[in-house]
Amino acid sequence: MSEALVEVGIGLAALALVGYLAMRISLSVIPAYIVAGIVVGPHEPTSVLGLSLTLVPETEFIEVLAELGVVLLLFFLGLEFSVDQLLADRRRILTAGTADLGINFGAGIALGLLFGLDATTTLFVAGVVYISSSAIVTKSLIEEGWIANAESEPILGTLVYEDLFIAGYLAVLVALVGGSDDVAAVAQDVGIAFAFLGVLAVGAWVGTAVLDRVFAVDSDELFLIGVLATTTLVAGAALTLGLSEAVAAFFVGAGFSQTEHVDRIEHLIAPVRDLFAAFFFFAIGLTIDVTVISTVAGLLGAAVVVTTVTKVVSGTVSGRAYDLSPLRSLRTGIGLVPRGEFSLVIAALALGASGQVATVIPPFAVGYVLVMSIVGTVLIQHSDRLTDVLVPLLPGAG
Amino acid sequence: MTVYETDVPGVGRKFELEIGDDQRLVAVLHHDGKRDVYIRPSDDADSEQLFTLSGDQARKFGSILEGAYFQPVELDEVTVPLGEAIIEWHEVGEGSELAGDSLETASVREKTGASIIAIQRGSETIPNPTPDTRIQLGDTVVTLGTRREQSELEALVAGEE
Repeated sequence: MSEALVEVGIGLAALALVGYLAMRISLSVIPAYIVAGIVVGPHEPTSVLGLSLTLVPETEFIEVLAELGVVLLLFFLGLEFSVDQLLADRRRILTAGTADLGINFGAGIALGLLFGLDATTTLFVAGVVYISSSAIVTKSLIEEGWIANAESEPILGTLVYEDLFIAGYLAVLVALVGGSDDVAAVAQDVGIAFAFLGVLAVGAWVGTAVLDRVFAVDSDELFLIGVLATTTLVAGAALTLGLSEAVAAFFVGAGFSQTEHVDRIEHLIAPVRDLFAAFFFFAIGLTIDVTVISTVAGLLGAAVVVTTVTKVVSGTVSGRAYDLSPLRSLRTGIGLVPRGEFSLVIAALALGASGQVATVIPPFAVGYVLVMSIVGTVLIQHSDRLTDVLVPLLPGAG
Repeated sequence: MTVYETDVPGVGRKFELEIGDDQRLVAVLHHDGKRDVYIRPSDDADSEQLFTLSGDQARKFGSILEGAYFQPVELDEVTVPLGEAIIEWHEVGEGSELAGDSLETASVREKTGASIIAIQRGSETIPNPTPDTRIQLGDTVVTLGTRREQSELEALVAGEE
């Protein structure tokens, strides 16, 4: 017990330290947390100046904390998923989101095929490079003041579309890594996954009134514990049935999103999410042997270059769909470049799989997120230089 | 004057208010209560951040803008026992039968039940006017009476035509 406590203490200290450094240089904390896990974890680097750096092993205890991080990340995705916004602006969101999906998911599939990966691994690569980081993107929007500009509309619209897509996508991936090689069995698993999605969606829809009533408690403490209990139980039940715990959590969040408790959850539970999500990024870092990243260097390098360009292109197309000027369209693209937490959720899924998926995806996704979270943030911070050069080249520039 | 609302996942909610000439005021309400306020000079311009307020500051500032912010009334100063009576101000309009009459002739008290406690004439106020004070066109009479009495007096003073 004393060992576990010391390990968690070291983990938290490392997270606090790197988090502070990341904030000082205006970068996202996500890559910093991963680096913290890599440094104090059991893999390289194992020592510095003769001091051991294998301080925190991959224990089941930290895994559970990390798993709660995934569940809460997806719970909040569901909580903040705006059905009203999607319906009110469906035509433009559909156009922008489909351009984003087609170009970036398509680029991921092309990369997978080009590097001779199998079908499942290719599907994972496509997901990792497709989905932008809501956390990094919205934080950058606020910091740069773009939130009040016209380009924030297609950016937020695209994120809504991606959120919905990832719920379905994760459900399918879980079925795919379920273990069976037989096409019919996989098809059946995917069918069950979609039936599960349907049940959860209906549950979220119908459950609103019940959740409203049940959670109308005065005590913040009971409220916090109750919401966490509901989310964790539903997610755990899904996992036991061989379904995606993340998707289950998404729909629990969606169920709460229509209740009167949203603000209270944002107040009370967001800090809990931040804590466990930090452990999730940390745990991903623990599992990664950085020397293994070099085995996927070719794929990684190609993906970074190609999918930076494709995000900028797809975003520009989305911006045009919103009738924005060339400058604002280009900014839409630049704003969506950061990838982060959801690419890692996909990677975490690959950790539990077998075959090529398990060997290629985790190091690829970690390397990719480390680069793209930083590249994306820096591109947004220095977007003026990029747009000064590119805008005159776009059709319709005045 | 349309207000546009957008959810900003992980942050809160954004409101945009058209204020003419293509300009918009943009307010971002964070979940932690913080409010960022921007102005966007035109559709295709970069917004400029005007100020950031905490939740409490924003509520106070909002009520000032709304015209609803006053210093709280000192309760022990308004214990004047008026009963059901209220004080009202009435302007003596064109065609009012009171214009030109002295208070004695006007005998407002007998006709309506309300009594005239002061007359405002231009920048000057005549408190406790005597029976021979004359009411002039354009005066504002300050009267004390119940709601019913006040409305009867209003008809007399305004000169309904």
